[in-house]
Amino acid sequence: MSDERPPEETDSGRRGLMTGSLMAAGLLTSYGAAGAIGARYLFPSGPGKRAWLFVARADELADGASVSYRSPSGQRVAIARQGLSGKVEDFVALSSTCPHLGCQVHWEAVNARFFCPCHNGTFDPAGLPTGGPPKEANQALPQFPLKIESGLLYIEVPVETLGGATAMQLDDTPPSPGAGHDPCLGPDCCGGELA
Amino acid sequence: MSLSAKQAVIGILGFLFLLSLVFVQYTEVTRRRAEAGIGEVHVIVPDSSKACVDCHVQSTPAIIDHWKSSNHATTGVGCYECHLADPKDADSFDHYGKSIATIVTPRDCARCHQQVFDEFEASHHAAAGNILASLDNFLAETVEGARMPFAPHSPTPGDSVDMVNGGASVAVGCMQCHGSKVAIEGTDGSLITMDELAPDENGQPTNLDAVAKILRTDDGRPVFHASTWPNTGIGRLNLDGSAGSCSACHSRHDFSPRRARQPENCGKCHLGPDHPQKEIYEESKHGVAYRDLKDEMNLNGKEWVLGEDYSQAPTCATCHMSGHMRNGGKVTHDPGERISWTNRPPISLRMDTDINGAVIKEKDPAVRRELVADTWQAKRQRMKDVCSHCHTSTYLNGFYKQYDDFVVLYNEKFAKPGTMIMDALKTNGLITAKQFDEEIEWTWFYLWHHEGRRARHGASMMAPDYAHWHGMYEVAERFYQELIPQAREHADHAEEEGETEAANAVRKVIDDILARPEHAWFENE
Amino acid sequence: MGVLVRWIQERVPITGDELRELTNEPVPNHLKRWWFCLGGTPAYLFVVQIVTGILLAFYYQASPETAYESVRYITEEASFGWFVRSLHKWAATLMVASVILHQLRVYFTGAYRKPREINWMIGMCLLVCTLTVGFTGYSLVYEQLSFWGATVGANIADGVPVVGGLAKQLLLAGEEYNDRTLSRFFLLHAAVLPTLMVILIAVHVTLIRLQGVTEFVDEKHPEKDRGSFNFFPDHLYTELIMGLVIMILLTTLSTILPATMGPPADPLTTPEVIKPEWFFYVAFRWLKLFSGTAAILSLGFIVFTMFVWPFIDAFLEKRWPRSEASVWIGIVGTLLIIGLTLWEAAVEH
Repeated sequence: MSDERPPEETDSGRRGLMTGSLMAAGLLTSYGAAGAIGARYLFPSGPGKRAWLFVARADELADGASVSYRSPSGQRVAIARQGLSGKVEDFVALSSTCPHLGCQVHWEAVNARFFCPCHNGTFDPAGLPTGGPPKEANQALPQFPLKIESGLLYIEVPVETLGGATAMQLDDTPPSPGAGHDPCLGPDCCGGELA
Repeated sequence: MSLSAKQAVIGILGFLFLLSLVFVQYTEVTRRRAEAGIGEVHVIVPDSSKACVDCHVQSTPAIIDHWKSSNHATTGVGCYECHLADPKDADSFDHYGKSIATIVTPRDCARCHQQVFDEFEASHHAAAGNILASLDNFLAETVEGARMPFAPHSPTPGDSVDMVNGGASVAVGCMQCHGSKVAIEGTDGSLITMDELAPDENGQPTNLDAVAKILRTDDGRPVFHASTWPNTGIGRLNLDGSAGSCSACHSRHDFSPRRARQPENCGKCHLGPDHPQKEIYEESKHGVAYRDLKDEMNLNGKEWVLGEDYSQAPTCATCHMSGHMRNGGKVTHDPGERISWTNRPPISLRMDTDINGAVIKEKDPAVRRELVADTWQAKRQRMKDVCSHCHTSTYLNGFYKQYDDFVVLYNEKFAKPGTMIMDALKTNGLITAKQFDEEIEWTWFYLWHHEGRRARHGASMMAPDYAHWHGMYEVAERFYQELIPQAREHADHAEEEGETEAANAVRKVIDDILARPEHAWFENE
Repeated sequence: MGVLVRWIQERVPITGDELRELTNEPVPNHLKRWWFCLGGTPAYLFVVQIVTGILLAFYYQASPETAYESVRYITEEASFGWFVRSLHKWAATLMVASVILHQLRVYFTGAYRKPREINWMIGMCLLVCTLTVGFTGYSLVYEQLSFWGATVGANIADGVPVVGGLAKQLLLAGEEYNDRTLSRFFLLHAAVLPTLMVILIAVHVTLIRLQGVTEFVDEKHPEKDRGSFNFFPDHLYTELIMGLVIMILLTTLSTILPATMGPPADPLTTPEVIKPEWFFYVAFRWLKLFSGTAAILSLGFIVFTMFVWPFIDAFLEKRWPRSEASVWIGIVGTLLIIGLTLWEAAVEH
């Protein structure tokens, strides 16, 4: 490399502008893209784990009847049949999470409605809002997807709970102390409390 | 390098960097696309069965482990979905707040698997439990055991034996394959089976007096008669009136289809001196190919259609039950659908079946035509639809000619003559009506029930050694060296007793048989 | 624009000229050679590690029950997670490599000589920190080699006389690997060591700025000033080019050879072959050639020698002037390091 060149060099106007812009463009686009990748990385990659779970045989539910299903994460879902076409559109699965601010609604049989205790939201049996903040915002109870396969009704629900209490934990369940000891026999019997 | 050159280099490198990041984006998208196809399969304990799992993972951890590898575990079918029982069911009991039953019958499985249930109940497998009046049953119950408990000879050192259970051979032998008649002990010492309970079409008992007599433990469990449970015989007669046990082939609690596709599964029962299908398969080219290529046969596949998912070799399931390319991949749970000869009886019969699936024994052709609902030809064609995935029709027709000729040879040379001789002995009073009390009855039994069957099965599934040396050779030896001489001995004995007419009648039958051209070698010079 | 500058200068009392004076140090012309940019390279990679490390820390969980699963989540599920992790892994390798190359350059050009002995020792500290941060980082994945590498490493530390036991207990938060070990490693890796390194780098660079970059002296024409050029924008452009080349290299490596996951740690099963990261091969092999305390003490002695090398070199120079003894010793040392590293890499045990 020559060192005869003076320490400071002046670039001729246009060439300097061109190369300067090229440099700026190259730096901004490339590091900008890298930054975008980093930002995308921070966003959750997808919806939480869900799975299709068996509910019942499709023809076990009579028209107008409903069954209370509990998902593995403990959420109560009201599954009702509202038609007799034999297709999955007959059925509806209503989440018990209030669309206002996320509290759990419960079914009031005496008033034939779903009631949310947080801000007195109410819903009709089809999940449509009838009073309180959900009615003002016109937000119905969210629904879970349903499908019918080989005559069997399946619901798609989240299977993860806080603390990773999916049954995946079952894979890593360490052997209980004193393996071979049957807790159901003898003095450790829980007396049915585990039901 | 001048400054502007450096700037240009920076710009160019910047774009190269950007290019490499584009490649990163591409990799990410490809990865996601690939991932979307492979959904991860997770074990999910449905809410209904959480309490079961929590306790049983400590008391019977292996059951939970087995269940975890089942398809049920990924679709939210847990313990309760199968073991739930209507409180009106005879064997239901309350277990920590839930009404369940220990035995899960085909009717319980039918809640989700209705079509399989229908096919299975119509099949001969489901009828396997109906051997109570058969020869086999007599052998096990009376000859090997005893119909009543009996007093022991002498004390057993280290134990106190009050009475000997004469039904032990039946319970452990015959019933474990054929299926027991599930019985609950009654408070009055009787046994309560489906006969007493008289279940309706929903499986619930109609005879409530019988239900009232059910003996229960302190926590409400019905006490099963030990000889009838545990039992997963394929023709088990359940308390709810259904026949069979799905776990006979689809072992609990992983209910593995993979296992049911393998010959070793059928081989639990279809083996042995009287019907060595397992050994025959292993000798045959089919079995040799299977043993070699088993790991490439996609046994774990969700679908298992011959020609699409595998084609290396057929297993029992392939020919007798599984789906293939010519029937839209449809599995049948009635193996009888594809069988054209029944080689079970002493004389093989063509499998023309009536509306109830029973073999038509009627000889008159006109009557047969009236009765037949499914012909043996139709059944054979269904089997040929499987064979033809690998074999041409010339090959198939040639094979079936060889097979038919063999069965007919056995029928005509040994089975029918043997039957005639035994009938003659019986009708002429030269042997008693009681089975197995005379040597010739054992001889005849060996000839058709063991050696004759082996020969026919060997021919049906291309095992030459079983067809010949373990088969027809032994049939022939049994016939010429034992049946004929023993029958003649009976005749001689009868003559000595003064029953000359009877003796001569039997001798004539024997002589007429031996005079036929196929037997002429025996006594001619 | 002028309004803005005036607004800032009212609050930050420094003029543009003073700033330029402070930062635009003349860079000796020999730094136009790329071999001399090896000091900025590890610094740049350190920044890359901090950025990618912070990103990884968003998802990493430093508990034995969930560590492996969190790394798996990053590698298999998080968007571009595999990329961020692979960048971090490759930048670690390149950082250690460039630190060693930089040290070699400084050594063979004698830039550690008076008055720059302190800076050499600071640099040695940075070397040790870099190696340690690499060691602790790999332990966090909680794979088999993570667990067993950490266990073996702690046991080697235990072998140091007098302080060994204490060092091992400090490292493992106990006598052996337990539930609190992993979070301790995490804190060392993500907080303590990086902070220490930032301080050390600041001191290192400050000393360079204060003392100026060592001038190359031409033996034949010792009075000739080989000239210098501006830091801004000239040398900055050089550094930017280096940075971009590194990013392209890292991205390519991360895409072609992404970080994978081995089997999860099993405290009850020791794998057949336990090896540390490549930059510890030389030490690992050395320890295997000698036994027990002798091995550790000799290794410690060598490291100490490296620390105080400027003073040893000064002694050698005085005793045997113009012998260039340090160059020959350096060549032998380098070949030895390469040899031991390759040996360890080639064999299983």
